[in-house]
Amino acid sequence: MANDRNSFVFRLLLTLFVILVINFFLPRMMPGDPFSTTSADEVGEEIIVMTEEQRLYYMNYYGLDRPLHEQFLVYMKNLMTGDLGRSIYYKMPVSDVIILHLPWTMLIVLGSTVISTIFGVFLGTLSAKNRKKGSDRIMMTGMIAFAEIPSFLLGLILLLFFSAYLRLFPLAGAITSFADYSGPAEHTWDILYHAFLPIVTLSLSQLTGVYLLTRNTLITVTTKDYIRTARAKGLGEKTVWTRHALRNALLPVVTRAGFMIGIMMGGVVLVESVFSYPGIGMILRCAVVGRDYPLIQGILLVIAVSILICNLLVDKIYSKLDPRVAI
Amino acid sequence: MSLLKVNNLKCHYQTDISTVKAVDGISFEIEEGEILGIVGESGSGKTTVALGIMGLLPENTAITGDIFYREQVISSLPESKMDRFRWKDIAIVFQNGLEVLNPVMKVGVQVTEPMRKHLDISPDKARSKCADLFRTVNLDPKWMDSYPHQLSGGMRQRVLLAMALSCDPKVLILDEVTSALDAFTRKEIRDLLVELQKKNGYTMLMISHDITFVSSVASRVFVMYSGRVVETGPVKDILVSPRHPYTRGLVHSTPDIFVYKDLWGIPGDFPAGDEFKGCPFSPRCTQKIEKCKEAPPDLIPIAGGRNIACHRGGVAGLLEAKNLSYRYRLPDRKYLKAVDNVDLEVGEGEVLAIVGQTGSGKSTLAHILANVMRPESGEVMFMDENVSKCNYGNRLNGVQIVFQDPFSSTSNRFTVLDAIKEPLDINKIGSKEDRLQMVKNALELVHLPGTGNFLSKYCGELSGGQRQRVALARAMVMQPKLLIADEITSALDVSTSANVLRLLKGLQNRRGFAMIYISHDLSMTLKIADRIAVMNHGKIVETGNSHDVMLSPSDEYTKRLVDSRIPV
Repeated sequence: MANDRNSFVFRLLLTLFVILVINFFLPRMMPGDPFSTTSADEVGEEIIVMTEEQRLYYMNYYGLDRPLHEQFLVYMKNLMTGDLGRSIYYKMPVSDVIILHLPWTMLIVLGSTVISTIFGVFLGTLSAKNRKKGSDRIMMTGMIAFAEIPSFLLGLILLLFFSAYLRLFPLAGAITSFADYSGPAEHTWDILYHAFLPIVTLSLSQLTGVYLLTRNTLITVTTKDYIRTARAKGLGEKTVWTRHALRNALLPVVTRAGFMIGIMMGGVVLVESVFSYPGIGMILRCAVVGRDYPLIQGILLVIAVSILICNLLVDKIYSKLDPRVAI
Repeated sequence: MSLLKVNNLKCHYQTDISTVKAVDGISFEIEEGEILGIVGESGSGKTTVALGIMGLLPENTAITGDIFYREQVISSLPESKMDRFRWKDIAIVFQNGLEVLNPVMKVGVQVTEPMRKHLDISPDKARSKCADLFRTVNLDPKWMDSYPHQLSGGMRQRVLLAMALSCDPKVLILDEVTSALDAFTRKEIRDLLVELQKKNGYTMLMISHDITFVSSVASRVFVMYSGRVVETGPVKDILVSPRHPYTRGLVHSTPDIFVYKDLWGIPGDFPAGDEFKGCPFSPRCTQKIEKCKEAPPDLIPIAGGRNIACHRGGVAGLLEAKNLSYRYRLPDRKYLKAVDNVDLEVGEGEVLAIVGQTGSGKSTLAHILANVMRPESGEVMFMDENVSKCNYGNRLNGVQIVFQDPFSSTSNRFTVLDAIKEPLDINKIGSKEDRLQMVKNALELVHLPGTGNFLSKYCGELSGGQRQRVALARAMVMQPKLLIADEITSALDVSTSANVLRLLKGLQNRRGFAMIYISHDLSMTLKIADRIAVMNHGKIVETGNSHDVMLSPSDEYTKRLVDSRIPV
């Protein structure tokens, strides 16, 4: 047991180290550096073209002119003390930038995980119950076709239709700027109002996965002997489905939900960009464009760590749900 | 009024490509308090009957026929109405499997679940009743809070039993309850069932492939084969004298009944395809006739409360000897009665062993039966015709004999080919090419090479074991329906004789001919014989199935013979 635990911690640290190495070197392999940016992302943004002297000065200031391995060691050393470095673009500590934007991402990622799981399970159960009937076939074909639409395209369509055309939802942002809320209820409402379309987009992109998993697991589970046993006991169809079939079929769905959070943390970049939603996805895009090395590193680290945490949680939760896995 | 009645039940599984007739028209009634057994090998449709009664067959099953419970038709009830009968009136103990209990629910909860549904009692009361049930099935109530995977196979089977008893059902269906259990647990479960039945008078339908288990509990038994009932009757009668060839095969391949015999299953498999019209057992049957291919036989009553479904009325007699006597004239002009008023019967596909010490008249009897010698009185009938008149030794599918000593029964100066071909030549069977092919086939049967090199060897060049196999091939080339093997291993060493004996029994099992195996070696005969006739001074002093003769000999001489085995 102690041995298991040690090797587990060791593997975790090794994974983390590999991620850190990639995080560090990947941004630096991109052409250019933070001070040679000449394009402005948004119309009206000031274009500053630095002279060579200025560039060298800043390179020296941020320590980017030193050999790579030295930079890496400094990065690692600072990381140990919890210092993620300073963002070149935002001119403030990377950790502050992330803390400012991470909650928004968490909101839409967690929200869409919950929503897509609930709807996916519901539709999957419906489909499994009507297996081999027309409704199941239509639903399945529709869902699979739907899953082929990329999430950013889906977001774009939703944005154009609901926000630009129908004007039902805001075009950008997470809250109304300069709003003066009369109470927490209104505040919450405003947040949900802005988060609605991003959450719907992310949920829809994950829905088919949950739906298919639920449907197929349920179909497998209903052929199991214990379902026959439950039927034999005369418990009634409803009890058989909910207490016996669904309870077992949900095990892989829970696992999937956990992994889904991790996957969405990465996928959220595009969706946030489409909705100009100020989560870490959007600032990651800015950081990449501006070659803001410390910020890129910081965000990638946060994403990687959250994926690791999700996997850990899935393991823990699964062993609670399935007594066969419990140690 | 019977408690449960099944009338012409047919369950056909329909897939996209074919229809599997899992149950093809079976009917039975169970009286209140009765234990009825259904036996048959896997795939015979036993479990389908159980599921059919419970209304648990998959949707792609075409079900016809009626099932009555207390005179009420329950076979066509909608699910919700059927749920009222399930568990409360008819409960089933499933075969213990890893997934027969819900893996994520505590076993106690699974046992209380039906009580809460059907008996309308409080959770606490259900739980205390569950603890009682656990004690009834000899399981510590502390296990109520464990999950199925934490229990052993035997414990899970007890949980399944407790679960079935939870709502005090009137009819208990037991589906292969002991097949996955070890011998101890199997016995414990058996005793538990007997005790429960005595105390509470459950009506039981016991389904198993384990004929010994079923017969130790049930009073009547149904033998199923390929979805049909082939034989029914009181348990004891079926065990002692099975009448259907399938039942006989089943009984004979049960190690608990034939303790000493080697294991030989019934060769062959179920007929494939649903277009098969004849008797389903006919592809494996040793006594099939033309009619068996055309239509399945009906279940017809015979004496003793038994029913049998066979176009030939059950295992047919093959050879019958009546009042056989033979005397040798001794030099002092006295007569020695070598065979003294012997009556004998051999059924189709049966292995009868005749044992006795040297000089008891076994070989003389064998020679008379094979029509090598004529009896002084009495007659031998083979397939209802007199052996000596019809000369069954001279034709295919007749009677053949293999003698004791291969060195004198095969000539040194004959090549292997000539020795084996001889009966074909003499009796002018087949063309020259046919004969060569038949010889090669026969050699293949006895595991000898059929190459030119070996065929042109002289018998004198062969070893004892090879020569005895050549002698066997000579008998096999005539494709006998009855083979008489007269002390065929006595001239061979232990290992060679074991090989020859296994070969012979293997051939018999596969080809399905009947055999009279004559030997002085009781241990050997027990390994292969279905029935044993003990011979002493020209008389048959005892006949019976080999197990009974060995374990409980009734005749003084047999007892001596059994005791004469040298203990190691």
